[in-house]
Amino acid sequence: MEISELLAQAANLMLTGMIGVFLFLSILIFAVKALSKLAATEQESQQPATKKSSKPVSTGVPAAHVAAISAAVSQFRQKN
Amino acid sequence: MDGLLNLWQATGIANLTFPALSMIAVGCGLLYLAIAKKFEPLLLVPIGFGAILTNIPVAALSEPGGLLYYVYYIGIDSGIFPLLIFMGVGALTDFSALIANPRMLLLGAAAQFGIFATLFGAILLNFIPGFEFTLQDASAIAIIGGADGPTAIFLASKLSPELLGAIAVAAYSYMALVPIIQPPIMRLLTSDEERSIAMPQLRVVSKREKILFPLMVLSLTLLFLPAAAPLVGMFCLGNLMRESGVVDRLSNTAQNELINITTIFLGLAVGSKLAADQFLTVETLGILVLGALAFSIGTASGVYMAKIMNRVSSNPINPLVGAAGVSAVPMAARVVNKVGLESNPHNFLLMHAMGPNVAGVLGSAVAAGILLALVN
Repeated sequence: MEISELLAQAANLMLTGMIGVFLFLSILIFAVKALSKLAATEQESQQPATKKSSKPVSTGVPAAHVAAISAAVSQFRQKN
Repeated sequence: MDGLLNLWQATGIANLTFPALSMIAVGCGLLYLAIAKKFEPLLLVPIGFGAILTNIPVAALSEPGGLLYYVYYIGIDSGIFPLLIFMGVGALTDFSALIANPRMLLLGAAAQFGIFATLFGAILLNFIPGFEFTLQDASAIAIIGGADGPTAIFLASKLSPELLGAIAVAAYSYMALVPIIQPPIMRLLTSDEERSIAMPQLRVVSKREKILFPLMVLSLTLLFLPAAAPLVGMFCLGNLMRESGVVDRLSNTAQNELINITTIFLGLAVGSKLAADQFLTVETLGILVLGALAFSIGTASGVYMAKIMNRVSSNPINPLVGAAGVSAVPMAARVVNKVGLESNPHNFLLMHAMGPNVAGVLGSAVAAGILLALVN
């Protein structure tokens, strides 16, 4: 094949390739933005529910117990 | 007496040719770079050793029936090894910087200009007597500019297997040279003022977004560019395993044991392609020159794109982060951080550069898919 013909093909490939890469990644930009909005709205609607459920868990174990257990664990680790 | 003569004929000394000896020297050179200079040692040690093994006379390790022949045939000819590595890279990649600032994808796209400009340059080299690159060869060489070892090996094995050794060595050598090649270009194209631009802090990305991201990339590939599906698919699988949080064992295997085992054999198989008749040619020299060119153009176009975006956008963008668009994760991002700190010691650009950096990985996989679709 003639070099000039190859060059024309390469130039063509360069153009289509760059357009292709930009198009694909631009679509991805919009998709990611849409995804972020979707995730943000879902999080907002879920927030009140998570607040309620998290409270009883934190009050289940008194702070004094947590401190005592962690002190025991660290003592155990130091010994071994 | 005959027995002695036969024994002599079976020794390496009697069969050693000059080209094989020079390739063994090349192998030793790669080992030296890996061990003494710490250039991509994880890859250059097996590649260099593979180069020595394949050039051992009489043993014929790379002929049908030899160990390296089978390793190459099973792992690279089939395209499996680079894809397994890509899965591991996916499991190692954190996309949160990109999801927080998706416009950085444009930088990853711009840096791929290095690939396509080099493709043109490789064909231009045909004007010099001694070079006869086909469009397939040129595409395989150009992908070095994607600064992504597994992608380069995958594409070369599909388009131009006879150049694979030289392309893989060039790709990995230049990736090791990123801290030397990039900074002068970055300094040349930006002013001190631009280099010290601080960027706003990135928002926190939710787990749900991180889980949906690989699935979304995969569905876009499915719709628009199925030719990139092997690369993007394995990458997304690795990333989903990481982010889903329910298969930590698989994710850990993909990013540690599996990627390590594959790297050993991938390196050996690439080294086995460093045979004298394929490597000691003027074309290898051309590939090395074109590879450096591809890297430099990719860096420059990324920086220019970032400069344009900085002018247009309401949020300031430091043009240096554009240089990270040539994947080479995470080396390119570290280089950006380092050059940025030289101008402004309080300006840490690492997280901002990770966005274009991982965008570059996607960009080069997409570019490889386009080349596969159009050239094959």
